[in-house]
Amino acid sequence: MLRYIVRRLLWALVMLVLVSAVVFAIFNIFPTADPATLRAGRSASPDQIQIIRESLGLDDPKLTQFGRYLEGVFTPISSQAPDVDGPMDLGESIFQNNTPVKEIILDRLPATIFLVTGAMILWMLIAIPVGIISAVRSRSLLDRTTMITSLAFISAPVFWLGLVALYLFASDVGVIHIFPGIGSYSEATTFWGKVESMLLPWMVLAAATAAIYARYVRSQMIEVMSEDYIRTARAKGLSERRVILKHALRSALTPIVTLLGLDVGLLLAGNAILTETVFNIPGVGQETANAIGQSDLPLIQGIVLFGAFFIVIFNLFVDILYAYLDPRVRYQ
Amino acid sequence: MRSNSRSVFALAAAVALALAVSACGDDDSTTSSGAAAVPEEFAPPTEAPSDAADGGELTVLAAGDIDYMDPGAAYYQFTFMVTNAGHRTLLTWAPEDTEEPTPDGAEDFPEVSDDDQTLTFTIRDGMKFAPPVDREITSADYKYAIERALLPGVANGYAAYLSDIVGFEDAQKQAGDNPTAGAPDIAGITTPDDKTLEIKLDKPSSYVVTQALSLPISAPVPEEYAKEFDAENPSTYGDHVVFSGPYMVENNADGELTGYTSGREIKMIRNPNWDRDTDFRPAYLDSIDIAEGFDDPASASRKVLSGDAEVNGDFVPPPNVLKEAATESDPGQLTLTPSGGNRYIALNTAIPPFNDINIRKAVIATADREALRNTRGGELVGPVATHYIPPEFPGFEEAGGIEGDPSLDFLANPNGDADLAASYMKKAGYDSGKCEGDCKITMVGDDISPGKDTAEVFRGQLEELGFNVEFRPVAHDIMYTRFCSVPDQEPEVCPNVGWLKDFNDAQSMLQITFSGDSIDPENNSNWPQLDVAEINKAIADATLINDPDERAQAWGEIDTQISAQAPAVPWVWDNQANIKSADVLGVVNKFNANWDLSFTSLPQG
Repeated sequence: MLRYIVRRLLWALVMLVLVSAVVFAIFNIFPTADPATLRAGRSASPDQIQIIRESLGLDDPKLTQFGRYLEGVFTPISSQAPDVDGPMDLGESIFQNNTPVKEIILDRLPATIFLVTGAMILWMLIAIPVGIISAVRSRSLLDRTTMITSLAFISAPVFWLGLVALYLFASDVGVIHIFPGIGSYSEATTFWGKVESMLLPWMVLAAATAAIYARYVRSQMIEVMSEDYIRTARAKGLSERRVILKHALRSALTPIVTLLGLDVGLLLAGNAILTETVFNIPGVGQETANAIGQSDLPLIQGIVLFGAFFIVIFNLFVDILYAYLDPRVRYQ
Repeated sequence: MRSNSRSVFALAAAVALALAVSACGDDDSTTSSGAAAVPEEFAPPTEAPSDAADGGELTVLAAGDIDYMDPGAAYYQFTFMVTNAGHRTLLTWAPEDTEEPTPDGAEDFPEVSDDDQTLTFTIRDGMKFAPPVDREITSADYKYAIERALLPGVANGYAAYLSDIVGFEDAQKQAGDNPTAGAPDIAGITTPDDKTLEIKLDKPSSYVVTQALSLPISAPVPEEYAKEFDAENPSTYGDHVVFSGPYMVENNADGELTGYTSGREIKMIRNPNWDRDTDFRPAYLDSIDIAEGFDDPASASRKVLSGDAEVNGDFVPPPNVLKEAATESDPGQLTLTPSGGNRYIALNTAIPPFNDINIRKAVIATADREALRNTRGGELVGPVATHYIPPEFPGFEEAGGIEGDPSLDFLANPNGDADLAASYMKKAGYDSGKCEGDCKITMVGDDISPGKDTAEVFRGQLEELGFNVEFRPVAHDIMYTRFCSVPDQEPEVCPNVGWLKDFNDAQSMLQITFSGDSIDPENNSNWPQLDVAEINKAIADATLINDPDERAQAWGEIDTQISAQAPAVPWVWDNQANIKSADVLGVVNKFNANWDLSFTSLPQG
């Protein structure tokens, strides 16, 4: 098992280098806005732009720039030059007061983690019972109702759902003042205040995802419930509750975990962009939107790399979790 | 300066632009100036009410962040809201100023020598830096502020207006050669004593230099405090800015700005060292909280309109909310202010077919500029432009005002004139009145609305003249930095360009954008690549005129000369829409076209 984890970690490192290369190529070789020109301002002369280009190292050969970029990202602190702020030195934002990209991302990460964690708990709490009940009572009225409802939520774009929720229930712009309004997460100073401010975003983010997961749990459960070992369990006289929760669910959850790992990784990587934008939650997703809007290339590059890191790590975590959830899975 | 968008360049998508306003209301009455076509009920207040009182906290909602906290680098309309409240620049713009600034850090306007080549500022007594510097401000602080702006790590975007200062180019080279060696010395800036700042020029261009010094580049910076931050590239002074105005960003004993979290919040409090007796600003508010991250302008606008003690920062209401604000909100909650910007469609005069002036005139004549304006929201967005100097600007009336020069028939009809367009096409050699043969042209514009909509509408108008238009939509910044601002790569048409003033002088509107001498191989803002010797000379001559009336006359005439060359389709002079909560006693700064935080107040008691 340990060898497997080490091997996966090494592969993860290789993957991150490859992702770094792709990200670097996208923003440095293919046509994008010129960072030196953006930084210099609209009235700057070519000479001034050249001075800035040189000071940012943008006139160096691309390979040199890539090497410097990798050095900043991967070199351990102890062996770095004094001006390298590593590990994970991702450069400075062009527009945000030259703030280090790493600092911006780390500043934004807690809000995203809070949003994603709460929403994940919520969608799993909804999806698993709904999926089980739908599977156990397949083709019943309850099954059809929950599946049609889930389809409706899947079809609703998150930003639309978020705006509707705000205009209905937010304390500032809503019709019925139930939940804290836009920007309340930043205003909250206590943990419970932040929890309260997240209730509506959690529900919105969880709604569509819960619907997808419910349908997935249902189909997995239906498949598992027809397996021989379930019939054996029943023949041994186990209660239906035990058969479902102990034997069927555990097996059905294995592929769900894969999905969950990917989804959580993606959301932490900035895919909660719409929810964070609509509710003004200062997370990585909102920062992604800002960076794209400003053509802040170092920041976009840093967020993409950081996102890749999360996805790789969560994939690894999921693979390891497999062994626990499904005894049939063993690593060599 | 950058406008209220996040793009660095021309206002384009920017310029407050958003101005996306719906055509609501039929009242076509105008302000007393009669120039701006801003309906009377939306005219911006520029004075605080007589009973305005100290106290309260104002919340400014913003979508994004300021560009730089460092005043040496600040170059964005929204940032100027902060710098105007936090710094004592040599000159500044009071709320009602439209033609000339007001002395601030300087006691008065500079004394100008007879040859117009020496400016002498006397620094005001009694001004002190905020903590942790806590000392009186001297002329050396102004000298250092200007010099450090040449460092590549500060990257000021408009320092070129000061390039006539003796020794400027040498200093710039020195800074470029060694960006971490500290601010270079500009030989032409001297401080004979603590209260005197003398600036010597190579040319008699005192007028424009004076105007440029009304921008944050002249916010005082204490060298002994800032030099360690300026020794880094980029400079980290932005994290440790020391303020001099009525307000400061919260900081700790080391000067680190604890009240500023990029993209999230700027917390401004009273500067304890500010002396009201030294300032014309009343500074009623106790504190200002700039809350950022309100990316959805519709919900943010509704929050402002229905909330308490809130105003908009860098966003403008989208058309549907603007309509609500105009028709349903309390009087005064919505104001419209001419932004000092324009939008036009650049026709590349350097290559066929638009190197033929008759074809350019035909294109302008056929353009339905009201239809183009509708892509931004309609009438309240601003008047249909007939030339390039915007309303309430020196030279605007001299260039023909709202109607423009009546002799330019191709600009006369805002809805387009197909017959006139056909007649110009015939003059260009197309007997049918439409393009024949190889009529393929390329247009590079925005890939998102509303800029993309403008481009699409214009494509349709070009096709009516027989052109076969290949439209390449790209991201806004890419449109500039890779295509429209690079002459070698520039297509025949750039439909989404425009310009926002740097200060209220026509030179800042016309020189970079239409002088052939300004055409650069990159970062070029003369998008039509207009290069007419007569106009180039007139522009060069006008930069050296220092009498305000003569200057307005000269630039007004230049504007007409440029319009007569038909280099572009001017289609709107933007208004900036601002909103506030009903209880806010808002005052708009007309120069910045945004709320003036030092004059706005909240009801007390």
